[in-house]
Amino acid sequence: MVFFEIDLKSRTPIYEQIYKKTVELIIKGELKENDQMPSVRALSAEISVNPNTITKAYALLEKDGIIYSLSGRGSFVAKVELEKVADFLLADFDRCALDALESGISPSILVDRINTLSKKTDIT
Amino acid sequence: MIEFLDATKKFDDKVAVDNINLQIPTGSCFGLLGSNGAGKSTMLRMISGVYECDGGKVAVDGVDVYNNNSVKERIFFINDETIQFTTMTLKELKNFYKPYYPNFSDEIFDKLNAIIKLPEKRKLSTFSKGMKRQAVVIVGLACQTDYIMLDEAFDGLDPTMRIIVKKMIIDAMASRNLTAIISSHNLMEMSELCDRVALVHNGKIVFSNEVGSHDIIKIQTAFAQEVTTEMLIEQGIEVLHFDAKGSVCNIIIKGEIDEVRAKLDKFEPSFVDTIDLTLDEIFIYEMEGLGYDFDSIGE
Repeated sequence: MVFFEIDLKSRTPIYEQIYKKTVELIIKGELKENDQMPSVRALSAEISVNPNTITKAYALLEKDGIIYSLSGRGSFVAKVELEKVADFLLADFDRCALDALESGISPSILVDRINTLSKKTDIT
Repeated sequence: MIEFLDATKKFDDKVAVDNINLQIPTGSCFGLLGSNGAGKSTMLRMISGVYECDGGKVAVDGVDVYNNNSVKERIFFINDETIQFTTMTLKELKNFYKPYYPNFSDEIFDKLNAIIKLPEKRKLSTFSKGMKRQAVVIVGLACQTDYIMLDEAFDGLDPTMRIIVKKMIIDAMASRNLTAIISSHNLMEMSELCDRVALVHNGKIVFSNEVGSHDIIKIQTAFAQEVTTEMLIEQGIEVLHFDAKGSVCNIIIKGEIDEVRAKLDKFEPSFVDTIDLTLDEIFIYEMEGLGYDFDSIGE
């Protein structure tokens, strides 16, 4: 089963963490189009999260077109446009970048920093 | 579904539960929050059918629960006190409950006690507070009722046992659509476990809603011009708390996020971020609104 890690100490609600994690796994390619999502019951048991919370996360993912469900067969990963979901993941980045700019750090320093991080993680 | 319909409970002239209307959907894990003496335990006892309402009623799937055995055998209530069974052993406790609950499963009991490993032949009086609680929890889950209630759910349980009990409740929810109603002062645990919470204060419901969809929101924003609390209130924004560090403002607002954003747009903010509130914060802001002054404590 794909690894859904939940941070119980985080201020982000659990359903939102499951949503984000799913999007992350799709962007990283660990979940691919038409892959089956774990069932609500299985995921609930796996990560000890209230099944209603997982249902809520799945409902939002479905509403946003990130997963689709086939009655009696479960939920599957939909065809997702990465640009569309990237915005969602970059909300935290925007906040941090803005904090930095507000504190007087120049944009070029931020760009350098992103380049350094990118080299470190070997992702381009 | 459990419904409080204009339900009132008095003790002499003290109104413990005051004309409450509340719905607890089937299959949910419902958390009751509130300060000491707010009325949570009274509400749980009303659901369990041991208290007769002084007004209105409490219905389980449409049927009045008071003194109704066919409804009561579908409900298991774990009291916040466990002194009444101290002369029994765990096995005797199990056999005491068994005849009242037609779905009782020895298999589930054995499975749960294989995890918790309580001695079956020792008297409960020799158990620690937490062990007594565990004993009642596994008997309660083995009764396989549609509804289970835990008053002060995690009281006296060590951190490992809290995780185990939580997991047992979640598993029963997923496998047989158990409805759990719990009260606890540990808000962190409540927000982990519950999908719905209600805040009780002076015998009344202050709010009842889904976890993570509360109408108190925290906003981080920055304005080019100076913006004060008064200016926001003038725009019809219900400000609970306002503090500014440099140009960045943290504002706690009661309202719906899209409406609030629209109203804030008039001040041309350079950005508007919403920050999720923890249940602790919601509790504190709501209680502040009810006249609890946390700032004055310790002065």
